[in-house]
Amino acid sequence: MIFRTALLIFFLLPSLWAQHVPVQEVILDNGMKVLLVVRKGSPNVAAGWVAKVGSVNEHSGVTGISHLFEHMMFKGTQTIGTKDIEEDLKINLELDRLKAELRKEEQALAARLRQGEITDVKDPKVRSPRHQQLLAEFDKLNARQRDLLVKNEFDKIYTSAGASGMNAATSEDFTIYFVNMPANKLELWFWMESDRLSNPVFREFYTEREVVAEERRLRSDSTPTGRFLVQFDAMFWKSSPYGWPVVGWPSDLDAITRQDASEYFGKYYAPNNLTACLVGDFSPDQAIALARKYFGRLQRGASEPEPVRTVEEPQYGEQRMSGEADTNPEVRVRYHTVADGHKDEPAFLILQALLNGRTGRLYKSLILEQQVANSAFASHDGMKYEGYFQFMGVAKTGKTPEQVEQAFYKEIEKLKTEIVPDRELQKVKNEQTASNFRRLESGFSLMEQLLMYDAYRGWRTINTDPPLLQAVTAADIQRIAAKYFAPDNRNVLVLNRKPSASAGGAK
Amino acid sequence: MRRIFLFAAWIGIALAADPIVKHPRELHFPPSEFIAPKAADYRHKLSNGATAFLVEDHEFPLIDISIMIHTGGYLEPAGMTGLAQLTGSQMRAGGTKSKTPETFDEDAAFLAAQIGSSVSDVSGEASLNCLSKDIDAGLALFVDMLRNPGFDESRLKLAKSQMLQAIGRRNDSTTSIEGREFQRLIRGDKHFTTRPVTKASLEAFSRQDLIGFHDRYYYPANFVLAVSGDFDTKQMLAKLEKALAAWPNRDTAIPDPPRSEFTPKPGVYVVNKKDVNQGRVQMGHLGVALSNPDHLALSVMNGILGGDGFTSHIMERVRSEEGLAYTARSSFGAGTYYEGIFFAGFQSKNASVAQATAIVIEEIKRAQDTKPSVDELATAVNRVVESFPLRFSSAGRKANQFAYDYYTRLPEDYWEKYRQRLNAVTPEEVQRVARKYLHPDGLVILAVGDAEAMLRGNPDRPQYSIAKLAGDRGVVRIPLPDPLTMVYPVE
Repeated sequence: MIFRTALLIFFLLPSLWAQHVPVQEVILDNGMKVLLVVRKGSPNVAAGWVAKVGSVNEHSGVTGISHLFEHMMFKGTQTIGTKDIEEDLKINLELDRLKAELRKEEQALAARLRQGEITDVKDPKVRSPRHQQLLAEFDKLNARQRDLLVKNEFDKIYTSAGASGMNAATSEDFTIYFVNMPANKLELWFWMESDRLSNPVFREFYTEREVVAEERRLRSDSTPTGRFLVQFDAMFWKSSPYGWPVVGWPSDLDAITRQDASEYFGKYYAPNNLTACLVGDFSPDQAIALARKYFGRLQRGASEPEPVRTVEEPQYGEQRMSGEADTNPEVRVRYHTVADGHKDEPAFLILQALLNGRTGRLYKSLILEQQVANSAFASHDGMKYEGYFQFMGVAKTGKTPEQVEQAFYKEIEKLKTEIVPDRELQKVKNEQTASNFRRLESGFSLMEQLLMYDAYRGWRTINTDPPLLQAVTAADIQRIAAKYFAPDNRNVLVLNRKPSASAGGAK
Repeated sequence: MRRIFLFAAWIGIALAADPIVKHPRELHFPPSEFIAPKAADYRHKLSNGATAFLVEDHEFPLIDISIMIHTGGYLEPAGMTGLAQLTGSQMRAGGTKSKTPETFDEDAAFLAAQIGSSVSDVSGEASLNCLSKDIDAGLALFVDMLRNPGFDESRLKLAKSQMLQAIGRRNDSTTSIEGREFQRLIRGDKHFTTRPVTKASLEAFSRQDLIGFHDRYYYPANFVLAVSGDFDTKQMLAKLEKALAAWPNRDTAIPDPPRSEFTPKPGVYVVNKKDVNQGRVQMGHLGVALSNPDHLALSVMNGILGGDGFTSHIMERVRSEEGLAYTARSSFGAGTYYEGIFFAGFQSKNASVAQATAIVIEEIKRAQDTKPSVDELATAVNRVVESFPLRFSSAGRKANQFAYDYYTRLPEDYWEKYRQRLNAVTPEEVQRVARKYLHPDGLVILAVGDAEAMLRGNPDRPQYSIAKLAGDRGVVRIPLPDPLTMVYPVE
């Protein structure tokens, strides 16, 4: 038995927190990482884990699988969610077989659509009798499985235990699962999470695909600008897998199989690709023992997941997109920049702070002085493999998005030609110092941040990044503006109001 | 550099020796005793009449002050909708009597102090968050804003133009259309909650009216403060006393927000928004007031029906079983001043709106026809009882909960008896309140989406249709109003 004592000081002075979040790290034999932060006095423990996989790891044909998979992780296991696991699994196989048959029918219809013989593959009138029969069989079998379910048992166990805020989120780069546990029920969390990580059953798979389609309609399709933003992303990224939405392309979502999900699970949800984190009032010794006991039962993956192969191709000329939507006239100007953790990223983050807010340059210039926009902001988005900087503004009534666009270029020119004054730089650094405390106040948010930092460059960067921001100089800002904000590297989205009976403006 | 810490304390060895149980119901947990903190222990009356709740927490060098002010949009003079909201935002944006907006903003930003002010329908709010070392400078700025707002003319003009542009977007998303029209169907269009900001109402008031509104409601006796963070209570009280000193109070009696006299008309209402591939549905009727002794039983009933996410009936059927929606839920409102609203709703592709609506109505009826199982009831009650400590889990949460309860005049022993009252709810009582307070035949049902597609329904599920749900009353179409005047076209 290996036995060693930590030399970490757990009771740091409050003021030291800003420079150093006191994390205890444990790596289990199977490669899973566990991060522990003890905060006395909280009646709850914020608990979560992250899988270092997201839509960037997908490929054509299965786009959206990371997010669909996240949904499937709530459907139960061999133990949770069914009254008869053998019958349940048998029905799953039969459902998969029927779905494969149905897929052939759908592919035949898609072929007819390509030839222009039909106009709508979802119209019941174009289905063959066999297609119709398969659908009926499928519905019947689905209903039979439903009788075997212990409905939403996974949620029920957590809910009755007083766990709250249970959810999960999928991004381009990671997938995170979290819940707030009453401090005395920490073992339940270990049981539940290690159970679904060792033997999940993706039941109600095809129904859940429909749920995800509704989620896409809700978040994107049926919002005023959602569809345009998805296509702007697709235009912006030429070769990078960041070009497809996290929710996936609709045609892929209609076709992903349970088999695809199983393969995905094997590849990306092995313990060596996972990090767990607890923040709250608990005994670290006990938490570590529980981690070994429960997460220790997971099998290490055969190999480490490969980093994404496809790199974004350089851009050789400006790209523009314009459209009409149910929105006030607005413009986005976006440049390719750097990935998370690049040595130029801190300067982009300081620049973003200089531009935003009530005392930021965009508000002072575009809104107060030039009176060309009614709102304007800038943001840097540094993702795992690539990044971008974006300016966004809504034109003031009577002004055009193109005028706002030109106002952005004027600000960019100023950044290239004039050095940022000391006091202005100090102001945003002061704000940064305060936010180093504010971001840690909520234990739940700290748990999420540690998991995200770990998914990108390791959790230690939560402590090493803030000094890098303080070190940014005015010369750095000038240099990055000149280097990255070049016309050939630019992408512009202009949206104007769609004329319609319901449009704004008095008649 | 990677450092690995390995631990194996005795407790770990003991735990590791036990096999993993087959089902979590076999796990046993140490008991947790949580006693709700008493607001009175943190309450202080300042000499000029303000009430303050102070909760210390020294983990981070930050101080947070939130103030609730007895005011609200419901107190606006007729025809001046938007005045209260702009008074709130312009207190923050318009500088002070001695500082231009630019100077005030720069001073606050350099201190890294977050200062805010707003007025909603039924309250005003102001807040300060700053590093504890800067509390004197931060508090001085904050109180200057509260007491001596400058209401700069050009900032007001800008804010009005932004608001005008924002109301121009009223019909852009189905979300905003749904919220507005459902509220109108339940409260009518004469109530303060449905009185719209229009181009004319924005033009009806000037800087002088903002000054007048501020003057009428902003004085210490009208404030409830929630103060939390890194301070010594005695010292902080002295600072607050000093900061609010010599600020004369007024003795105007401020009425409570009025209830609406409108009686909702049950039926099926449709708003057409072409080009969206998903319809949004909300259905409901009036709920109860918080003073109704049945409100806790109702909250349990609603949890089982549609309030508790995945363990509730509506979510289970509409989402998990049928895949018809991403969110599907219900809420049984217990209003602070008058009846809240009961509603259930979801978003589903246009073609399946009718089917999902029918399922939700079935579930509302089922809540009346069958009493919940002991198991279901336990889940719904435990959810609230077991997560109760979270409500008071930080100094900020405590202080703000106390201030809010004081502002809304919640009975002093409410939280003390809360869990005990919930635990006493029986299956019979859940069914009784469902029968008494749910009215499946009196529902106002609103659907916003592509009307033709919603009415056409799903050819694979011909048994469901919107027309069938509407019955003899027929489907009532609501047109989209002009967003700036809120005049509805007559069809």
